[in-house]
Amino acid sequence: MQEDLLQRAVDLALQLGASYAEARYHKHSGASLVARNGEMIGYSESVREGVAVRVVAGGALGFSATSLLTWEGVRGAVEGAVKLAKAHARFMRRPIEFAEARLGRARYEAVAAKPFDSLDIGGKLALLSEVWDGVRSSVKEAKVLTVTARYSEDVEEKAVVNSDGAYVVSRVPRLTVSYNFVLAHPQKGTIQRTETFGGSGGLEQLEKWRVPEEAAGEAARLENVLLNGIAPPRGPVDVVVGSEIVGLIVHESCGHPSEADRIWGREAAQAGMSFIKPGMIGERIGGRHATVIDDPTIPGSYGFYLYDDEGVPARPRYLYREGVINEHLHNRWTAKLWGTSSNAAARAMDHNSEPIIRMANTYLAPGDHTFEELLEGIKLGVYMRSYMEWNIDDIRWGQRYVGLECYLIENGELTKPVRNPVLEVTTRSFYSSIDAAGREVRFEAGMCGKGEPSQGVPVWFGGPDVRLRGIPLGVVA
Amino acid sequence: MMREPVSEVAEKLVGEALRRGFEEAAAIVVRRESTMVKFANSEVSVVQRWSSLTVGLYLAKGGRILTTEVHPTGLEQVGALIDRALAAAEQAKPSFIYAPLPEPERVEPLPGLVDSAVVEAMADPSPLAELMLSSASGAERVAGALTLSYTERGVATSKGAKLEEASTGLEAYLRAFVGESSGQWAHGSRRLSRDAIRRVAETAVQLAEMAKGRPVDVEPGAYDVVLSPMVVGNLVNLVGMMASAMSVLMGTSIFARVEPGAKVASEKLSIYDDPRNPELLGSASFDDEGLPTSSKPVIEGGVLRTLLHNSKTAAKFGARSTGNAGLLFPRAWALRVAPGDAKLEEMVAEVKRGLIITNNWYTRLQNYVEGIFSTIARDAAFYVERGEVKHPVTRVRIADRLPKLLSSVEMVGRDLYDVSWWEVSPAVRAPYLLARGIGISRPTV
Repeated sequence: MQEDLLQRAVDLALQLGASYAEARYHKHSGASLVARNGEMIGYSESVREGVAVRVVAGGALGFSATSLLTWEGVRGAVEGAVKLAKAHARFMRRPIEFAEARLGRARYEAVAAKPFDSLDIGGKLALLSEVWDGVRSSVKEAKVLTVTARYSEDVEEKAVVNSDGAYVVSRVPRLTVSYNFVLAHPQKGTIQRTETFGGSGGLEQLEKWRVPEEAAGEAARLENVLLNGIAPPRGPVDVVVGSEIVGLIVHESCGHPSEADRIWGREAAQAGMSFIKPGMIGERIGGRHATVIDDPTIPGSYGFYLYDDEGVPARPRYLYREGVINEHLHNRWTAKLWGTSSNAAARAMDHNSEPIIRMANTYLAPGDHTFEELLEGIKLGVYMRSYMEWNIDDIRWGQRYVGLECYLIENGELTKPVRNPVLEVTTRSFYSSIDAAGREVRFEAGMCGKGEPSQGVPVWFGGPDVRLRGIPLGVVA
Repeated sequence: MMREPVSEVAEKLVGEALRRGFEEAAAIVVRRESTMVKFANSEVSVVQRWSSLTVGLYLAKGGRILTTEVHPTGLEQVGALIDRALAAAEQAKPSFIYAPLPEPERVEPLPGLVDSAVVEAMADPSPLAELMLSSASGAERVAGALTLSYTERGVATSKGAKLEEASTGLEAYLRAFVGESSGQWAHGSRRLSRDAIRRVAETAVQLAEMAKGRPVDVEPGAYDVVLSPMVVGNLVNLVGMMASAMSVLMGTSIFARVEPGAKVASEKLSIYDDPRNPELLGSASFDDEGLPTSSKPVIEGGVLRTLLHNSKTAAKFGARSTGNAGLLFPRAWALRVAPGDAKLEEMVAEVKRGLIITNNWYTRLQNYVEGIFSTIARDAAFYVERGEVKHPVTRVRIADRLPKLLSSVEMVGRDLYDVSWWEVSPAVRAPYLLARGIGISRPTV
């Protein structure tokens, strides 16, 4: 039914003078549960659905969204998008054009092995209570100030139809569980941790994540950091950066600067620009370990999709390859500007959002070291396993990660906990300093923000543990 | 449902929830029309238009709290959702923040929230786009956004509140580039002002012009900082979020371990939540529980005066609702910083060794309870020595503790600016500030 409405919308836009038209039905239905210290705060259900229309008319891009799913509502959206695009055509020095693409005509679905309704709300609440119990029982000396935990399920359903022949219908269920805890000690202050688990699929993921056990383990280890943590050593040291931080670094300093719309300047006043400029494909940015891949097709991933929101089939993108800038993330518009093909990076958060260039699942390629081999031969160094604070400048060059669970490395062994070491590096210095990478890739889940209005889309970011040589660490004052 | 007054829809939904078996209900119905022109490379990158109806429901039974958010296609769909919520209520546990919905109080209407010029401009914002681009003609290129909106918001509760309010909004911000340097400025208001749009563009260009020349690296360390209203707005938003009593309960607030009455900032600093001021973009006369909003100090003369409450957090803290519901999460409506008496030049003259930071983004925290944070300067930033602006600087971070920054404010500007953009949302009315001895960092490798 919706697909007929979408085709009608595309046909009307063309009749009204659009040179390209796209209509997307987009629905999120979900539920979430929040608890504090094991006690329920509230249960929430949501349904967000509507139709998004995007057109090129007079060389300008128009977008319109409606939550009215009648023909009257959708027709209004089409007319509005075409009218607004035409009214702004005079500002376009370079009309919007799309690169040719082979577009999908397909249906696909990520399948939950254990559907969300196979566990009742009481069972879901019990999971959050176990997180509280786990943290409380594993902390010995410090006081547990708060533990908040959140369970959230979402089913994203889409149908994309456009005037170049795309017809893609999809359904992806996603599960997210997160917690935040604060431990306090009268003399030592507080330590805080936020962690998120997310993936596509159903409740079967809970068995793999073991959230209450993870929370309990983290709380015990972070209590040790709080009570016994020392300042990081002064002067350059070797740093083993844990996969959690490596994943974030590649997301921030490879994935984002590789977004072609950002390189072109389209996000300049919001999410910023890129140190990568047009024409920099082939330039060196780091050493041989610097291979970063963004792959939407990883089964079970948080950023999973098989066709993007322009109907282009997805594939792995090798953004940096062995230290060289290799490929950008493209939609059909930037592909035309670069004289290349789209690699299916167009994603929209919901029906209120235009598809823009996004990452999916970004990771650093693994090496061949075990964790022990990474530590071997380090006389004095720091292992940074997790973080809380981070940020990166608007060209994705200067960046900062403040370690949370961290340890001193002495003569190849982890010894004392280290509190709040600061890794503040440039993109080049990070990718040039990796001298070895672990053999196991691990992923973290997150919501990545970009666009105006801001769109948050689910992504994975990951990688192996890596070793950096000769890095000066700061410390939080 | 799609055309009825929003308070009527809200009342109907409350009735529906009670009929289906809930003991208490509140409905918030928001109908919104908005148009945005986005600019990049001095072109229009996209023009967007939204038309939406959003329903938020608060439902309670036996102390269990259920909330829903839906873009409804019809009343039946909401009915089905209420039935699902009722089934969920059977399995849920009582909420630890449950308190009955409040008895309605008289709400004084707030005139002046709608500017018909905004509504008229929404149909074709291209003349305003033209104004924005032409006012920035001194720049090599610009990027930014102009958003116009018309919103109807209705609230009804099972205690008998039934309220409705319409408002308009304008947000305009622009980043201007001159060579390698850039400047950015922003404005948000309930009213359409062509002068304000022009000033946004002109200020962005002026800052970019001032920042021309080769930027110099500064050494990490402690500096005096003059923060522009853009930066102040971003940090005051963080203070507002942390002032929500729910943030205190959740362990995401620097106020988690202090009581109202405690000194939390410099005596020069006062921050108000001022929803009864219709000039401010966040102004509103009633909250999501149907209680009247009120203008009040959050921090006054450096002293924490109140947390922001709804009736639930108020019950938990033994306080009164401050009219800041959020059904579950109290929030600030319209933050403003009280003006001081300093001119910008006077603040700069007081700087011995410091920086002027005109814009920032990416504020993140290591620890919310201690307020350990950093944020990155972007656009024009300058090194100042003995009161004299020396040269532009490369991108630096403010990396310090929020309580320390609040306590280190020494001068407050007399001019106020209504700032609203990607990193200052909701809008804040803010001056320039001078703070002493603030941590500055940047990569040294």
